[in-house]
Amino acid sequence: MIRYLARRLLTMAVTLLIISALVFVIIKLPPGDFLTNQIAELRSQGEAASVAKAQFLMQQYGLDRPVWEQYLRWIGLWPNPEGAFNGLIQGNWGWSFEYDRPVREVVGDALWLTLVVNLAVVIFVHLVSIPIAIYSATRQYSIGDYVATFIGYIGLATPSFLLALVMLFYANRWFEVSIGGLYDSAYSGLPWTWDKIRSLLAHLVVPTLVIGLGGTAAMIRRMRANLLDELGKQYVVTARAKGLPPTRALLKYPFRMSLNPFIADIGNLLPHLISGSVLVSLVLSLPTVGPILLAALKSQDQFLAGFILMFVAMLTVIGMLISDLLLAWLDPRIRLGGDGR
Amino acid sequence: MTASTSPETASPLPPRSAGHPPPQRGEVWRRVALLSVLFPLLASPAFSAETSDRLPKQPLVVDLAAQGRQTGKPGGDIVTLVSKARDIRYISTYAYTRLVGYDEKLALQPDILEKFENDGDKVYTFTLREGHRWSDGQPFTAEDIRYWWEDVALNKELSPSGPPEFMMVDGQPPRFELIDPLHVRFTWDKPNPRFLPELASPRDPFIYRPAHYLKKFHAKYASKAEIEPLVKQAKVKGWAALHNRLDAMFEQTNPDLPTLQPWRVTNTAPAARFVFVRNPYYHRVDTNGQQLPYIDKVNMDVAAGGLLAAKANAGEADLLFRGLNMEDIPILREGERAKGYRTHLWPTARGSELALYPNLTVTDPVWRQLNRDLRYRRALSLAIDRRTLNNALLFGLGTEGNDTVVEKSPLYKPEYRTLNAGYDPGEASRLLDEVGLTQRNGAGIRLLPDGRELEIVVETDGESSMLTDGLTLISEFWREVGVKLFVKPQDRTVLRNRAYSGAAVMVAAQGLDLAMPTAEMSPDELAPVHQDTYAWPKWGQYVETRGKEGEACDIPEAKVLIDLNARWMATADNAEQATIWAEMLKNRAENQWVIGTVSGALQPVVAKTRLLNVPDKQTYSWKPTALIGVYRMDQFYWGPNPKEASR
Repeated sequence: MIRYLARRLLTMAVTLLIISALVFVIIKLPPGDFLTNQIAELRSQGEAASVAKAQFLMQQYGLDRPVWEQYLRWIGLWPNPEGAFNGLIQGNWGWSFEYDRPVREVVGDALWLTLVVNLAVVIFVHLVSIPIAIYSATRQYSIGDYVATFIGYIGLATPSFLLALVMLFYANRWFEVSIGGLYDSAYSGLPWTWDKIRSLLAHLVVPTLVIGLGGTAAMIRRMRANLLDELGKQYVVTARAKGLPPTRALLKYPFRMSLNPFIADIGNLLPHLISGSVLVSLVLSLPTVGPILLAALKSQDQFLAGFILMFVAMLTVIGMLISDLLLAWLDPRIRLGGDGR
Repeated sequence: MTASTSPETASPLPPRSAGHPPPQRGEVWRRVALLSVLFPLLASPAFSAETSDRLPKQPLVVDLAAQGRQTGKPGGDIVTLVSKARDIRYISTYAYTRLVGYDEKLALQPDILEKFENDGDKVYTFTLREGHRWSDGQPFTAEDIRYWWEDVALNKELSPSGPPEFMMVDGQPPRFELIDPLHVRFTWDKPNPRFLPELASPRDPFIYRPAHYLKKFHAKYASKAEIEPLVKQAKVKGWAALHNRLDAMFEQTNPDLPTLQPWRVTNTAPAARFVFVRNPYYHRVDTNGQQLPYIDKVNMDVAAGGLLAAKANAGEADLLFRGLNMEDIPILREGERAKGYRTHLWPTARGSELALYPNLTVTDPVWRQLNRDLRYRRALSLAIDRRTLNNALLFGLGTEGNDTVVEKSPLYKPEYRTLNAGYDPGEASRLLDEVGLTQRNGAGIRLLPDGRELEIVVETDGESSMLTDGLTLISEFWREVGVKLFVKPQDRTVLRNRAYSGAAVMVAAQGLDLAMPTAEMSPDELAPVHQDTYAWPKWGQYVETRGKEGEACDIPEAKVLIDLNARWMATADNAEQATIWAEMLKNRAENQWVIGTVSGALQPVVAKTRLLNVPDKQTYSWKPTALIGVYRMDQFYWGPNPKEASR
């Protein structure tokens, strides 16, 4: 087991290294970089004084150096102008040009608000879809099943941004919830009081519904199919024949088995917590990392964008590890591969 | 706290601003409690004495009645919206507090300065206000201007490329004299007519800095032992970087930096709301002796660009203009009554909302020859049905014609707008034939001399739907005379690079920025001296780099413009400057360097009905009005609560 873990960790490190190179190259693909664009923009506004400042920054952050050197510096395998190694490996997340402050400060607040939003979504999805799935699987082809299926398809097919706008409008008209954001802007910068939390909860409703709806529909369909699969199996029939109460006969084994694919999904769930709501966050102007990432990519704020992408990549890799370990523990039929035993 | 001489000032402030979630009951009580404590304090003579301490000996007295405005009541906050955190820097444009600034009639007036003397545009003597203080209470003196000039602009480490361009005449910096703490003088050998207009520009060049604050970070004044730990703490590389970072006069990223503006920033990004509080040492007062600004606090909320109109519609902005445009008018109008705001429609001053720039320095030789042919440019202009464009894009409210100055400018003449700007497809066709574009293919599209289709790829940044919609219409008009148009929207950066390198044949963008000029404003936007004019990027580059890159201008009619611009720069005589402007505008209209279409879009300016002194109709432009800057946001105030008024 330990050897297996060690090997997994090593491959994870290599994977992350490769991803970091890809991320950096892709961010660098569009012509120019943040500061050259900045300079062009300033020049076009006749702001010659700031051009000098931007040029100065450019030297300072090594943007005038070749791409490979910028990359190695970023991850911390190449000394910066003062000869010190100071990059991602050493725990320095880099510098954001757009915000003119360290990346750590820029993403700090946004990261946990992102977690709040997406955790709410995950909880919502599970709370809604599991009961519906069980209902529609146990009463296959009943009217209730058809209705649930129909609603599920609508949820799957509605463009989330459109739904978001419509719901925003009515949330404002009917419940006086201010448009966009995660709490009323009057509370911004204030400490967390009960009022502020209430405002947060009120503002969470629309994003949770909008982001969650698509996921709910998908989960109902998958869960229903898995359950139907299990329900037809011999052991269920036997259990019933032996007189096990129906609820127990459903929940004890078939339900557990049908959860299997979802545990395998935890690997995707973790990065989803960060990147799952970009579009809706943009439309609803939520202070999560999604909009920050998009803005960073657009303005080529390379270290900021690079960090967020790396963070998501790291969560994916860790999530995969967790789901592998969990599966092995949960389902005795699954064994770690070959010599890893 | 506000300057108060009468007790009613302290009576219940208009509770924040309308439209926000009503303050919770607890909060109201807290406010009442706070006010009852403050009330005696405010009314006491000691407090008023302190107020006059906070003003310069000679404050700028604003005569509101003379401007047709009402004397306001201090107090209250306003909320406005920005689409990204970086945009909070435009507060200095909105608030418009300058050493020298334009008034509503676009005449230059001393503002922070008590007065200025200008001797032949060569010798400028500034007089500061005695007793004027920075927002932290430290005196503002001539030393602050000296510090900027000698220790920032002339410091090689802080300004590697030297002082800003408008300070240089023929590459020579001015002589600077610090006469006494209240007087400074800049002297050039030749006239520098750009100096004062630049100080009044929408983006303040800030030729003064809080020396007492910044010296702590300047290697010349602070010892290494003092700076070193600060540099480490800020994680920057060296003192110059630290100084540049803290010296954010425009960017508003340093709440510790003292300011002379009406409001100063109190927090930094990332934040969903930026709060600007009043500067207690601001130098303007109204005739009743109340210190401006009337508004205590300006809140700037960050919201996605697409939500600005919706948020205004929900009454979540007390004042909003930047980020709104004509398409938003219906949705803005819809919420007016329920949410208690008004949508003022201000005509914009821009040469043209949609202008076509045939690239005279394009690399492709066939296109280059065509673009340089006046008959060809004129034909393209005559083939555009501007009336239809006006109806489709601007609800028929716009002005049709060339890309030139607007009627409100004293330099305007009707022929600048109308010359060869009618709709005459027959004449256009005849001109194209005359150029030699007589061959056509089966689809009726003309052929270039080398056999290619006459298909003009018009490149645009695709950020404004007005541009792309307009171009779609123009492609219909041009097809009638056998010209094909293909729209290519792309990222602005890519567009710029393509135009600069000569790859773009034609670019569509907005027209003249400075469309409401007076003779004393620089006409350089009309001359091929800047790379960023899409009509002649390479000529501009040649001038900007002093001949190191780009190409020298080789069309006599365009060369004239360079000479005229140089002549304007060399003269101090306003009458001659006006003549030069007239010649340049005439040249622009005759040569159709840029093909203008329609101008006069309306800018929605949303303001709460209770927010008073907001002009109902004014001209909106970046330059010279600094958006709403010259209309003095520090004079806006909250009128009485409508409920109270009806009682």
